[in-house]
Amino acid sequence: MDWALIVKAGLALAGIGILIAVLLSTAARKFHVDVDERVEQILGVLPGANCGACGNPSCFGAAEAMAAERIPVTSCVAGGQDVASGVAHVLGQDTPSVETVVSVRHCGGGTNASRSFAYSGATSCNVVAKLSGGDLKCPAGCFGYGDCVKACPFDAMSLDERNLPVIDLAKCTGCGICIAECPRSGSGLLELVTDEGAVVVRCSSHDRPKERKAYCSMCCIACKKCEKACPADAIHVIDLNAVVDFAKCTACGQCVAVCPQSCIDITGRLALASAASIDGCGSKVEGFVPLETKEPVAAGVRDDAS
Amino acid sequence: MQQMSWLTQLGLLLIGAALVQNILLTRFIALCSFFGISNSMKTSVGMSLAVIFVMVMASSATWIFYYAVLKPLGVGEFLYIPAFILVIAGLVQFVEMYLRKYVPTLYRAMGIYLPLITTNCAVLAAATESVKPGFFKMNMPYNFSFVQAVVYTLGVALGYGFALLCFTALRERLDVAPTLRSLKGAPMSFIAAGLLSLGYIGLGSLFGL
Repeated sequence: MDWALIVKAGLALAGIGILIAVLLSTAARKFHVDVDERVEQILGVLPGANCGACGNPSCFGAAEAMAAERIPVTSCVAGGQDVASGVAHVLGQDTPSVETVVSVRHCGGGTNASRSFAYSGATSCNVVAKLSGGDLKCPAGCFGYGDCVKACPFDAMSLDERNLPVIDLAKCTGCGICIAECPRSGSGLLELVTDEGAVVVRCSSHDRPKERKAYCSMCCIACKKCEKACPADAIHVIDLNAVVDFAKCTACGQCVAVCPQSCIDITGRLALASAASIDGCGSKVEGFVPLETKEPVAAGVRDDAS
Repeated sequence: MQQMSWLTQLGLLLIGAALVQNILLTRFIALCSFFGISNSMKTSVGMSLAVIFVMVMASSATWIFYYAVLKPLGVGEFLYIPAFILVIAGLVQFVEMYLRKYVPTLYRAMGIYLPLITTNCAVLAAATESVKPGFFKMNMPYNFSFVQAVVYTLGVALGYGFALLCFTALRERLDVAPTLRSLKGAPMSFIAAGLLSLGYIGLGSLFGL
């Protein structure tokens, strides 16, 4: 055995090791960077879902930007008031007030809306939307294959028995990922509204009411009854669809009561203080109308509509 | 072999290393990172940059180290792998600290990939082949000079980046394409990688090399 070679090899490796150790420990001292420990603290406050709604790639990026005061402490859309207060506390700023938004669905169709062909492919709205515009006859309605449900990082959405995504307002943070995923975002199927908004119109079609009724029993027919019934002048039929002005709405529920199509729902965190039954008619079996019976549902059958 | 000017030789070395003997799609080295990070263009760009940077740096350092220390000691034949791992790991750690202090933008652009590729097989392969161009079968001198080693490594790294970006673009498109449910995700990625690799065979006879 060549002892000299073994000693040489051992010395060479040990020499490299010691040399690199000396180099690195010197460099570590010379190139020391002071890390802002507030970044770690802010990161502890943030939700950690890395949803990207604030415009930063991750919660860590957002924490860095907040610590450097490049973005305001209210930037975290998902966190809302609690997170904004927490971050402001870490940074020693005054507690700001945040207007929280939640996602709402402007469609009550689902299995009530008629389809132009029987689709049996991959259960994805984005896939079916590419097949000659999708199987749904309504050009604005919800396909009901649940791309938004799969995309939601907060587990706030689920498909109900009518294949419509129901949004759990207790979990929805308004990050807007469902809207980015939805192929019907162009016509405003899913929308972010203030969580104090009390009613939601379950239709986003702008077709003529006659055409609309032919393919969906749950649509807004632009009858303007809600407009007349509203004591606060908060709901208007614009471009053949009812639109609510939440700045004026007093959550009296008059429009919900008079709607002949049952297409206006009670929603919102304030209106539904009981936070358990959440997404209005979408989650109620009573609101379900089979496709064959085109009879409109009488107002008031939904227990949350009074 | 006909006489080539040194510039032609270096050019051929670069193209040969980048396209003909592509490290990912012809030789199947470093496939872990190829499949691991190719799901988004953003991470792929960061990874490609980091690989080009680290590979060129690591292989120039190991070339000097091999000819200045290991060979004179007579231990180069059997000690090069552990020694190279040590040198590359130490160098990457040093450069990371340096970048963090003086070039924070670059540090952030490369992100986590800089430390991660310390032990990447492609980096070690390129460093090893710079001093032992054994299975790189081209009509080239057996021992690379320093310039040849750097150009060769640059070629390998560019080939890595090019193949990775091509594949990422393919995968991003495949994500929204109506593929079969049973093939969605990983199976489709492997099929796409296979087809892409098939395409690289065509480059094997590039310039009659």
